[in-house]
Amino acid sequence: MATEITNTALDMEDNLEAQEENTEKFLTFLSDGLYFAVDIGYVIEIITSYSITHLPKVPDFVTGIINLRGQIIPIIDIRIRTGRPRIEYTDKSCIIVLEVQSMMIGILVDEVSHVIDVNTNDISPTPVNNRQELVNGIARVGDTVNLILDCEYLSQ
Amino acid sequence: MENMLDMYLFETNTLIEQLDEILLNAEKFKTFTAEDINEIFRIMHTIKGSSAMMQFSTLMTIAHRIEDLFYFIRENGVQENYRLELFDLMFRSNDLLKSQVGKIENDESLNDNIDDFIQEVNTFLEIIKGNVPKIDPEETKVASNAAQNDTNQVLPEENLQSGNTVVVFFDEGCGMENLRAFMLISSIQESDIKFTYYPENVENDFSTSEYIAESGFVLKFSNQEDLDAAITIIKGALNIRTYEVLHEEPPKKIEETSVLEQILSQDNTSDVKAEVKETKEVKEVKKEVPEANHDTAPKKQSLISVNLSKLDKLMDMVGEIVITESMVTSSPDLQGLKLDNFTKSARQLRKLTDELQDIVMSIRMVPVSGVFQKMNRIVRDMGQSLGKDVKLTIIGADTEVDKTIVDNIGDPIMHMVRNSMDHGIETRPADRIALGKDPQGEITLMAQHTGSEVIISISDDGKGIDTDKVLQKARENNLLTKPENEYTQKEILQLVLLPGFSTKDKVTEYSGRGVGMDVVKKNIEKIGGVVTISSEQGEGTCTTFKIPLTLAIVDGMEVSVGKSIFTIPIMNIRQSFKATPEDIVYDVNHGAMIRKMDSFYPIIRIHELYNLETEITEITDGIMIWVESGDKSYCLFVDELIGEQQVVVKPLPAYLNSFNVKNSGIAGCTILGNGNISIILDISNLYDAATC
Repeated sequence: MATEITNTALDMEDNLEAQEENTEKFLTFLSDGLYFAVDIGYVIEIITSYSITHLPKVPDFVTGIINLRGQIIPIIDIRIRTGRPRIEYTDKSCIIVLEVQSMMIGILVDEVSHVIDVNTNDISPTPVNNRQELVNGIARVGDTVNLILDCEYLSQ
Repeated sequence: MENMLDMYLFETNTLIEQLDEILLNAEKFKTFTAEDINEIFRIMHTIKGSSAMMQFSTLMTIAHRIEDLFYFIRENGVQENYRLELFDLMFRSNDLLKSQVGKIENDESLNDNIDDFIQEVNTFLEIIKGNVPKIDPEETKVASNAAQNDTNQVLPEENLQSGNTVVVFFDEGCGMENLRAFMLISSIQESDIKFTYYPENVENDFSTSEYIAESGFVLKFSNQEDLDAAITIIKGALNIRTYEVLHEEPPKKIEETSVLEQILSQDNTSDVKAEVKETKEVKEVKKEVPEANHDTAPKKQSLISVNLSKLDKLMDMVGEIVITESMVTSSPDLQGLKLDNFTKSARQLRKLTDELQDIVMSIRMVPVSGVFQKMNRIVRDMGQSLGKDVKLTIIGADTEVDKTIVDNIGDPIMHMVRNSMDHGIETRPADRIALGKDPQGEITLMAQHTGSEVIISISDDGKGIDTDKVLQKARENNLLTKPENEYTQKEILQLVLLPGFSTKDKVTEYSGRGVGMDVVKKNIEKIGGVVTISSEQGEGTCTTFKIPLTLAIVDGMEVSVGKSIFTIPIMNIRQSFKATPEDIVYDVNHGAMIRKMDSFYPIIRIHELYNLETEITEITDGIMIWVESGDKSYCLFVDELIGEQQVVVKPLPAYLNSFNVKNSGIAGCTILGNGNISIILDISNLYDAATC
C-alpha cells in the first residue's frame, strides 16, 4: 500500500501557483512501517517512560490513561486506530502528547523519527478513492512519504 | 483598561440587581420606604458617576434623570395615586439600564435614542411636582378620612391658624441666605400678602443664614389662597432648591425624628393623621411596614472580588498537595519502620491539609439565593402579561454551591420557571378552584445538599404534563423508539427533553419553539448533572436538577480486581465481608445473589463487567462489598481490599465523553500515592450498566 500511495503522489502535478515560500514543521513518527507526520503546533511533549492504566468499556484503540504530572491523559494506540496489528512495545515506543482544541491526548507510536520542514506546496491531499479520514495530507520529503495525521479528527 | 471595564460591569450589574430586589419588595408593600428611596438614590448616583467615567453617556443620562426624580421624591414624597405609575416607570428604567449594560457586555454600541424615555421621566417628574401645591378640597377631605394619608396639604378640621406654613430651602452653598430670604419676603409683600416669617431679622442678622441654610426659611400665612399665591412667587424666585408646605408648628429644628415622635404620640385618629406631610408620611409608612424590609441596604461587608481562574489554580494546587501528602506518608521507603515522631507529625500535617481543603472549597461556594431572587422578577412580569396570579416560594436559598454551577443553572432555572408560568399554571382561576386549589398559583424553587450533590427543583401546582399529548407529538416528530404502549410514565416525561420537542401549538413570546428543554438538558449535563421530570395531571409538575459538587475530595476504599485498582466512595459502602457458599444463590443466567439478613442482593462481578483478567473468579475467594446508592443496594465482587484512602477526584478526560464511559459505572479517576491511577466507581451507574 505504501508504494501505491507513493505512486499516486508522484502522479499528481505540483501546483505552480505563485505561493510564498511557506514551510511548516512536522514531527514524524513510525507506526507499522508507515511514516506519519503531525504539525508541531499540536505537540506538547514526548514521553518515553510511562505506565498506562487500562480503562474498561472503551474502544480497542484507547489503550488507557496515564498520569502526566497530575493530569489524566487518554492514550490512543495509532496502530490499532489505523487498523494495524498490535505489537509488544519496545524501548523505542513512546507517547506523543498532543493538545487539540484544549484537549490533551496522547498517541502511542512505535518510534519517533525527527522534525522536518515541509513546504506547503509539497503537501498534497489524499487521493479521493483512497481516502482515510485520519490522514488529511501527504508530504513528500526526499524519498519518504509522510502521512499527515488529522489531529482534529483524531480527537473526536 | 480591560480591568476597569470588568469592574464597571460587575459593579453596575450588582447594583441593577439590588435595584430589582428593592423594587420588587417595595411593590409588594405598595410603597417606597425612606430607606428604599435613599438606596435607589444612592444606586442611581453611583451608576451615574461610574458611567460618566467610562463615558457611557446613555447610561449616565438615564441614571441622572432617575436620580433627579428620586431626589425630588426623597424631599417631597409621592402621592399614592402615582405609585403604580412610579413602580412601572422604575421597572422599565431598570430594564433599560439592563439592556444598555447588556449591549456593553456584547461590545455593541449603546442607543443614543433614549429621548423618549427621558421625556417620560421628565413628564412624570413634572406631574408629581406640579401637584405639590395644589389642594383639591375634595381630595383633602377624602384623604383626611383615610388611615393612610397622602395629600400634602390638608386643612385640619379645627384650627385654620396653625396651618399654611411654607418652609423654603435655598440652593446649597449659594451663600447669603439671609439676604435671599429678605428678597423673597419683599417680593411676597409686594403682592399684598400677609404673612409672618422666621427667622425674623434676616435683613440685618447675618447669623440667620446658617439657620436658614440648615432648617429653611419659614413663612406662615393666614389662609390657603395667600399660601398659594406665595408659592407661585416662591416658584419664580431664584436659588430656591425646594420648599415644603407644613401644617403644624414647625419645631425649632425640623428634625425628622422629633416630628415622628410628635406623630406617634398623637392619637391615631384619621383626621389628625391626615395632616401629616409627605416626608413624615414616609417615615410613618416605614413604621407601618414592619420587619418586611430586611436587606435593602447594601451589604457593607468587606468583600473582595477575585478572578475565578486564580481560584481554579488554588483548587488544583490544594488537590495536588493532598496527593503529594499521601505520597509522602505512605512512601515505600518508610514501610515497616517504626517512626513515632514521624507518625505524629504526619497526622498533624494531615489535619492541616484537611482544613485547607475545606476552606478552599468553601471559597468557591456562593449561595443560590442570587439566582433564585432573579426569578421573582420573571414571575412578576409574566404574571402581569399573562394575567395569572402566581407567587414564588423559595426554599433553601442559603444553600451554597460552587460558583461555576451557579453561573450555569441561571438560564435553565429561568426556562423552567417560564415554562411553569406559561404552560403549567392554569389560565383561569376558576379552573384552579374547581380542582380545589388556591386561585393563586404557586411556583416553588428549592435547593438542598445531599453530601455529594446539590438538588435543585422547580415545581408548580399547575395542570401537569399531558402524557397523551406528549406521546402524540413525539409520534408526529418521529421521536419514538419503541411502541407507544411500552413507555412508562417516567419515560414519556423524559421525551420532553428531546431536541425539537414542544406540544405548544403556537409560538408565543415565551415558548413554543421547541428549543428550550433540550438546551436546559445540555446546560445541566455540561456541569455534570442530570435532569428529571415528574408530573401528575391536574396536580403539577416538578423538574429536578441533580448536580454533583465539583472537585470532590472523597474518602474511598481501594480494591483490586486483577491488575486494576478501583476506588469505591466510602459513603456508598455499607459493609465488606467474605461470602460463605451457603449464602450464595445462583440463577440460570450465571448471575448470583447473596443472602444477607433475610434479604437477597444481586452480586455484580467486576471482572466480568469490565473484562478484566484475574485469578479470583469464585465468589467465595474474593471479597464482597455491599454498596448502596439511592434506592439501589447490591454487592460487588472484587479480589481484595487494599485500604482506605482519601482521594482527589479527577474528571475523566473530555475525549472519553464520546464513548459514554460515564454510563458504565466510572465516575472519574484519581492518582494514588505511588503515582498510579485508580478508577473511581459510580455505584449508581454501575448497577444500571450491569443490569441492562
